Amino acid sequence: MKKNEKVIKTILNSVLPIIFAFLIGGLIILGIGENPLATYGLLIRKSLFTVKGFMNTLHYAAPLILTGLAIAITFKANIYNMGVEGQMLLGGFFAGIVGAYLPDMNSVVQKVICFGVAIVCGMIFALIPALLKAKCNVNEMVVTLMLNYAMIKALEFLTTGVFRDKGAGYVATPTINDGAMFQRIGTSRLTLFFAIVVIILLIMAVLMNKSKLGYEIKTIGKNAEFAEATGMNVGKKIVLIMLISGALSGMAGAGWMMSDQFKFTLSFSGNPGLGWDGMLIALLGGHSPIGILVAAIFYAALKTGSDSINLYTTVPKEIVSIIQGMIILFLAVKFIGDNTKWFARFKKKEEA
Amino acid sequence: MELLGNILYDTVYHSAPIILCVIGGIFAYKANVLNIALEGMMLNGAFVSVLVAYLTDSITVAIIAAILTTLLWGLVFSFLGITCKGNVIVIGLGINLIVPAIADFILKRMEIANINLQSVSVADFKLNIPFIENIPLIGKILSGHPIITYLAFIGIVFFAVLMYKTRFGIYVRVVGENEDSAISLGIKTERYKYAAVLIGAFCCALAGINLSMERMAMFTNNMTAGRGFIAIAAIYCGQGKPVASALYAILFGVARSLAINLSVYAGPASGLFDIIPYIIMVAVLAVVSYMKYKKVKVRGFKLD
Repeated sequence: MKKNEKVIKTILNSVLPIIFAFLIGGLIILGIGENPLATYGLLIRKSLFTVKGFMNTLHYAAPLILTGLAIAITFKANIYNMGVEGQMLLGGFFAGIVGAYLPDMNSVVQKVICFGVAIVCGMIFALIPALLKAKCNVNEMVVTLMLNYAMIKALEFLTTGVFRDKGAGYVATPTINDGAMFQRIGTSRLTLFFAIVVIILLIMAVLMNKSKLGYEIKTIGKNAEFAEATGMNVGKKIVLIMLISGALSGMAGAGWMMSDQFKFTLSFSGNPGLGWDGMLIALLGGHSPIGILVAAIFYAALKTGSDSINLYTTVPKEIVSIIQGMIILFLAVKFIGDNTKWFARFKKKEEA
Repeated sequence: MELLGNILYDTVYHSAPIILCVIGGIFAYKANVLNIALEGMMLNGAFVSVLVAYLTDSITVAIIAAILTTLLWGLVFSFLGITCKGNVIVIGLGINLIVPAIADFILKRMEIANINLQSVSVADFKLNIPFIENIPLIGKILSGHPIITYLAFIGIVFFAVLMYKTRFGIYVRVVGENEDSAISLGIKTERYKYAAVLIGAFCCALAGINLSMERMAMFTNNMTAGRGFIAIAAIYCGQGKPVASALYAILFGVARSLAINLSVYAGPASGLFDIIPYIIMVAVLAVVSYMKYKKVKVRGFKLD
């Protein structure tokens, strides 16, 4: 009974912020003279209730699940890794470069090489803040945020200069080989990449809930000093956690490159970026793998739906970004705390 | 000589908004509510001031509107973070995402990419200081800045005094260092935390106005380009001490002005010069944190 109550509380704590955010978003839509219900209807109808739309939604959810996991594993250990966006961009960029310059060979090998390069890039980029944190106790949040900006500028430089595809009419790197692309399934955008993501999600679920490392992550998150006192090498574990996070982010970038973008442009990860979306998803999913899966699909549905808003109404699709920001804002607050007596009162009435 | 003058002028120019963010952020830092939302609040100040000036043609109204709306974000931040006891880092990030989204939304509704204020001329904001402006080199550097730039530098002294010499500043620090003992002394801790966050919001509004209206008379989205986070890095480097933190902000200004002035000579690699300020900030933060860390004699791992 007690466990049930806890689950209900967790779900309510995720659902209430969404409801509040949509209410305020609805007021904004009303304010500009449009019908909020019709707009929200458009938002989810196409992306969730048609087969093709749902498959597209799953396609967009794939990289988000990975970035969500990358954030969740660090947030769970109370490490604020804000560098997921930068790690993802770096991974995606070099997966694209390698994918474009690889000689013609077996397509599976090409994909494996691209993923490998992206994972290594993500891990190296995550290693900098991790080592600084573990060895010099530098605040990882500030470092990762700074490095994100540096990375965006550096990639801008590489895309517009060194690796620019002169044939393209706009700023972009060369398109990757056909062999490195994931083939679409049917008419939708869904590719095999989603299956890979689901496998990784399962691995991460086992890692986070059933393994020794998962327990250690939880302990560090709850009380790092206690963890150290019990004999854990917290510094080493932080480096390990950051490396896993970097690898997941790099993979997200590579997958996005090989299943959707095919070349690196300056708007590769969209606005506000797959890494930032990942943060919303991790928070929304309560840092649990199943929660992340649900949250990623929900958020991808919003993202695909936002295009139909733009087509059929005068509401700018940026309304979705506003709603997203508000969800994060409200998620920070636990509306129903662990000690809320609401349920207890309810139960007593039942007994009486 | 000309180049040196330009570099020094740009240093003052680029330091000002970051200094404002820093002196606004230190109170929240000292009160133990880390205000990550500096970035979003600054962007809000920048956006609202230019938008209102564009719509009403009145600069006074624009400045008041920018300050009030930014204070409103400060209230949202404090209500959710202090009264509702939410996670302040997540709230800050939420605000940092919402503000550019709102700006985007409104710009799309108005069907323009960025706002240019034709009626406002940037030269009008520039204030020349008599006597000083006639001194060679120094006059060029110290004089001819907009008002808020001067306010930023005066603010360093003002906030240093406020933090160390007044009852308010001492109470804010007590609240941050040991909330329980502050409560036992009968200090209304929540009130001081609110005040600390609102001071930050006010300074960020000024920084935003300085950035968009006073310097360029225009607004493009995300024009703050991480300055709020740089301010947070500077606060961490200076451990919340007003003068020390402001010096780190100026260091960033130097890096930025060097990058801008020297990139002319770099040819195609000039794009890479934009990275330098961020890398310098990370390096400085690493060194400062390491020095602090070395002094800690407690065995084992300590978070912050």
